[in-house]
Amino acid sequence: MSMKLVRQALRGERPPPRMWRAHELRERYDAVIIGGGAHGLCCAYYLAEEHGITDVAVLEKRYIGAGGSGRNTAIVRSNYLTPEGVRFYDASLKLYERMAGELDINVMLSQRGHLTLAHNDGSLRTMRRRAEVNRLQGVESRVIFPEEIERLCPHLDVSDHPRYPILGALYHPRGGIMRHDAVVWGYAHQADARGVHIHQLTEVTGIAVEGWRVTGVETNRGNIKTGTVLNATAGWCSTTAAMAGVKLPVTTSPLQACVSEPLKPFLDVVIVSGSLHVYVSQSDRGELVMGASVDPFPSYSSRGSLSFAESLAGHIVELMPALQHVRLMRQWAGLCDMTPDYSPIMGFTPVEGFYVDVGWGTYGFKASPISGKMLAECIATQRTPDLIAPFRLSRFSEFDLVGEKGAASVAN
Amino acid sequence: MAERLPPRTGEVIDREEELRFQFDGEDYLAFSGDTIASALAATGVRVFSRSFKYHRPRGLLCCAGHCPNCLVQVGEEPNVRACRRRVEAGMRVEPQNVTPTLKRDWLAPVMRALSPFMSVGFYYKTLYRPSWVWKLGEPLLRAATGLGKVSVPKIPSEGFDKQYLRGDVVVVGAGPAGMSATLSAAGQGASVLLLDENGQLGGHLRTTGDTQQRLPSLLEKVRAAGNIRVFTETTVTGWFDHSWLAAVRGHRLYKIRAGAVVLASGALERPLLFENNDLPGVMLGSAAQRLLRLHSVKPGQRAVVMTANDDGWEVAADLRAAGVEVVAMADERERAASSSARVDALSADVPVFWRHTVAAAHGGSAVQAATIVPLDGDGDTQAPRHRQDCDLLLVSVGWTPNTGLAYQAGVRFGFDEKRAELTARDMPENFAIAGRAAGTHLLEHELAEGALAGRSMAAAAGRGDAPAAAQWTQVQEEKAAEPARSAPWVSVAGAGKRFLCYCEDVTEKDLYTAVAEGYDSIELLKRYSTISMGPCQGKMCSMNAVHLCARANAASVDETGSTKSRPPLQPISLGALAGQNMEPVRVTPVHDWHLERGAKMMVAGLWLRPERYGDPAGEVRAVRERVGVIDVSTLGKYKLTGPSVPDILEKIYINRWRKLAVGRVRYGAMCNTEGIVMDDGVTARVGEQEWYMTTTSGGAGSVNEWMQWWMQSGWGEGVQLLNRTDDFAAVNLAGPQARALLQKLTGLQLGNDQFPYMHARSGAVAGVPCRLLRIGFTGELSYELHCPSSYGRHLWERLLAAGEQFGILPFGVEAQRVLRLEKGHLIIGQDTDALSNPIAAELSWAVKLDKEDFLGQRSLIRVTERGVRQRLVGFTVPGVSVAPEEGLQIVALGSNGKRPEIIGWVSSCRFSPTLNEVIGLCWLPSEIAETDGAEFNIWRDERPLAARVHHGAVYDPEGARLRS
Repeated sequence: MSMKLVRQALRGERPPPRMWRAHELRERYDAVIIGGGAHGLCCAYYLAEEHGITDVAVLEKRYIGAGGSGRNTAIVRSNYLTPEGVRFYDASLKLYERMAGELDINVMLSQRGHLTLAHNDGSLRTMRRRAEVNRLQGVESRVIFPEEIERLCPHLDVSDHPRYPILGALYHPRGGIMRHDAVVWGYAHQADARGVHIHQLTEVTGIAVEGWRVTGVETNRGNIKTGTVLNATAGWCSTTAAMAGVKLPVTTSPLQACVSEPLKPFLDVVIVSGSLHVYVSQSDRGELVMGASVDPFPSYSSRGSLSFAESLAGHIVELMPALQHVRLMRQWAGLCDMTPDYSPIMGFTPVEGFYVDVGWGTYGFKASPISGKMLAECIATQRTPDLIAPFRLSRFSEFDLVGEKGAASVAN
Repeated sequence: MAERLPPRTGEVIDREEELRFQFDGEDYLAFSGDTIASALAATGVRVFSRSFKYHRPRGLLCCAGHCPNCLVQVGEEPNVRACRRRVEAGMRVEPQNVTPTLKRDWLAPVMRALSPFMSVGFYYKTLYRPSWVWKLGEPLLRAATGLGKVSVPKIPSEGFDKQYLRGDVVVVGAGPAGMSATLSAAGQGASVLLLDENGQLGGHLRTTGDTQQRLPSLLEKVRAAGNIRVFTETTVTGWFDHSWLAAVRGHRLYKIRAGAVVLASGALERPLLFENNDLPGVMLGSAAQRLLRLHSVKPGQRAVVMTANDDGWEVAADLRAAGVEVVAMADERERAASSSARVDALSADVPVFWRHTVAAAHGGSAVQAATIVPLDGDGDTQAPRHRQDCDLLLVSVGWTPNTGLAYQAGVRFGFDEKRAELTARDMPENFAIAGRAAGTHLLEHELAEGALAGRSMAAAAGRGDAPAAAQWTQVQEEKAAEPARSAPWVSVAGAGKRFLCYCEDVTEKDLYTAVAEGYDSIELLKRYSTISMGPCQGKMCSMNAVHLCARANAASVDETGSTKSRPPLQPISLGALAGQNMEPVRVTPVHDWHLERGAKMMVAGLWLRPERYGDPAGEVRAVRERVGVIDVSTLGKYKLTGPSVPDILEKIYINRWRKLAVGRVRYGAMCNTEGIVMDDGVTARVGEQEWYMTTTSGGAGSVNEWMQWWMQSGWGEGVQLLNRTDDFAAVNLAGPQARALLQKLTGLQLGNDQFPYMHARSGAVAGVPCRLLRIGFTGELSYELHCPSSYGRHLWERLLAAGEQFGILPFGVEAQRVLRLEKGHLIIGQDTDALSNPIAAELSWAVKLDKEDFLGQRSLIRVTERGVRQRLVGFTVPGVSVAPEEGLQIVALGSNGKRPEIIGWVSSCRFSPTLNEVIGLCWLPSEIAETDGAEFNIWRDERPLAARVHHGAVYDPEGARLRS
């Protein structure tokens, strides 16, 4: 029994401690972070914790975690395709593995394993390539075949009856799911405890730039003077960057997801099928959390569509016929900022003092802790950490892209 | 004990037909027409399942399919609403979330003991220090949560399907307002679809008021009209863009295009918060009326009725008429607020507590008593308290319009403080709300509003005239004059568990705690406390939660807002959404022959292709030594005509086309704007203004879209692009005997001078009009024959028959892969990835940077200036006979135990039966790739395997054979 719960039980009518506080907006801050999601709050936490920069404001136009942080399907893994991708996401997974203790909140990391199914020889080849890259980077990952797949997930139809039979899978034991909102709240709590101001319902309406240098931020609650601004938004990253005069090679498309009614635990692993464009896991509450690929058109809509639910259900039932009676309970959409190489953009921009942590497509949640930590280091030390150098904005003009399309284009 | 009443007018059960079913391992009897809930209630069953978090006993609450309290497992189907599902003979019904049985759940007392430590979000605050505790705790937490079961891993599909419908006006809900709207819209000439989730039309006309007064005539009129289609037991689950509705009935999903929508889906009765308000026996007043009037089931023997409106008094009258003793009435209003004859009559024999409310229910697994307390001015309790024994506690304190569909359609709502209900603002043109869903409760008003809504929506769909604005004004004024139905408060102070959210066992105190912790906006509150995130999706709790959140923040309900209503409005099975599996399969005209010949087929995109017929090595040898034939009908095939075809080809491809002579064929590769190779194929100029282009099988669709995109954006003027992929079969005849064989079937001059390599001809082969391309992917003399699909099998069979004397074999994809690898030909998508540019991929000979603007040119100029770091290059692995697997990494070995560093990867690798050697293609750093014979290490099974760079094809490097 945790002492927190004992204290809470004994507290009676006295109010519990607040996780974060509300503040008046100051006229100036050392650093302003736009976007109160996991990325922005994490960066604020690391600025305060590791670099002693506590005069920081996190501006969130709605409530913390309202965007991608609260809309993703909470899958974590590090079995990417490129060595630089594997290194980066594995550093992130390692931070997740010790996050609960560090942030003092149970983020419910559940590393029950992650299976990416292959339905044709081409994807099987890619799985093998990923497994080899992963293993050489010290990430456990291997190609397995139907017999073992069925052992890990007896509900999968591994026969040759389906339209796209399962030929094999990439098995990543350390992959899994967690409680995404708790990550946001944990960072918010710890950043607040270190003096960071979290401003909800605070929308940025302009970014002041003088001669290629950031000088401030305009909001619906007043103006702020600052020499350091981090754009940690998702969905609106290109419009926010445009306020500072920075153009990003990003298009924004919705990604839909849904959950079923709660069920007793029966599915341990995360199941992903690239060919069928679906992924499914069972949360600790018993709901199946399901998602598909990014909608095939750019849009800022966060509404769910019927065709999404139909095609997702069709593929899920083909993979796991026993789920035909399971009921879909709620569907929603989030916004994904897609870059040409399915990799994020982090670090400096041509405008001095204006940093980006954007272009997170469908992989933002998996990278929250490490990107926040690296951006904090970048801002504090004024140099790009090696781990995120491949993801710099200038790679697009230098023709030095990161080839993650093969492992990241299928949403999860 | 509850019991079945004698036959009554209006009941929906057929007492002639008895059905036997099982619940919790015991046999029960039901009448035909009974729901699982009514049949069990009729035999006195009170507890149906156990709650999500505390495993508390739960029984009927709403009886309308909206709350989570009667969720049961029916066979393999989890989370079935017992109050909606009709009993079928032999049904196996099980309670849910019981450990291990409904009556003896050992987790319930454990949870009760732990509950002081299990306040809202407790799981965020425990089980993580030290970290291994979570490894033990998580399985326990998982086992305790969840509701129904998916127990059998694999079950056969139960035949779900889909149907498309359309209607000028779609009316959702067949109560008085809905039927009135339907009749008025139909009267304007509109085609109307009337949908209702209940088994019968009538809505609350069947469960409240004088059911015989209006219902028969409305039913008769609906039945008589020719342009009305009625769908009962049909639940509308969502409104999507452009009035696209989803509705489900059993195993069928309806997809409905509506011209306009009338939402007449009624109202949900609102639960009241008091201690133990989840005890079985505590029900909404409307639930009791449903049991009584539809199923003739007496819900209890001694009832306390708590109300805040005249509906509760009708409930009390119904109970008395059915022989239930009403032991006390509590009304939150002053005596003066209600003075109907019914109140007067009841007050004479029943103790009535005016300006009182219920503070607590008491009992173990069912309610045994209620505590009634007076209300003071602002809704708090004071002494004295009245404890009243009872076995039924009914609550009728207000209504929440059932307007989720309207939210989805873009209607905005505001809170009417006076009436304590939400009212609609900003109605879209083709959407109307009528009846209780619009806050209208008096029958005459509902009918009038329904008629206006029906007529308006018919007009919106182009049928008849819209009613005058004045008529709407009148209806609105009449509605405004109705007495308020909903109590402005939702709870009174007190101790114990007052459940706000039944799905997730969230109490009022939990909500206040969460707000105090900082989760103070309704959205954060929802995510932290999980209010409104359970199976009822907020139908029971949302309104109360908003009230309490507003109270906690000292804000108004409007300022507090509400969470979004997201589809589906009622959970919908994946089976119904999936329908029948309609995944298309593409097969070539020769497909059946392949199957007859026992070919092993493989999935290639939507296509099925022969991977092999027998031993691929034998197939390779046949091609190298004699002749072979492969079905390549899956190739993308396009006809381009017009004077400016070369213009578009020059834009799309990296190589030149303008000067290609008529009758010539050329290989081409194309890039995206980032300079990444995306497809390749051969294209023939078959006439001055006619071209025949082929693409890879996998790329056919995307190349078509790509070409269309650029042509429509201005580059395709005067060009016609026609997709002939399905129109033509194609076979490739390859091997030294190919010419001799083909000559037997055609009069065309095939000599090397008359029909040289990389030329195209047209003519009859085996009596079939063919286009012949002399190309050589396999490295042998070969002819690709394209003929109309209908002749595909004929041509194939004739080639095989004529080839018999030469020892012909059909070959599959596997043999073709080996053949092309021996020639060092790459496959785009296998040997290239999302970063491969043509210069690095050994296609630099095809890149013409100096030609006019083409797609990818700008990027490729950069690449050329910078130089490429990695190259695709051939290799051999001396001294092994088992080919390393494709996808293996090429490494630089680290010193002293350091992990090897990745420097490249193997994209293709096979054992070559021709050369008796393992050969392949791989990506290597340029400095290694440049040196023919350079050694490098492939990392296989945690060990290095030495391989050697090989420049050029390993087989016939000069290409003499394909030109022969």
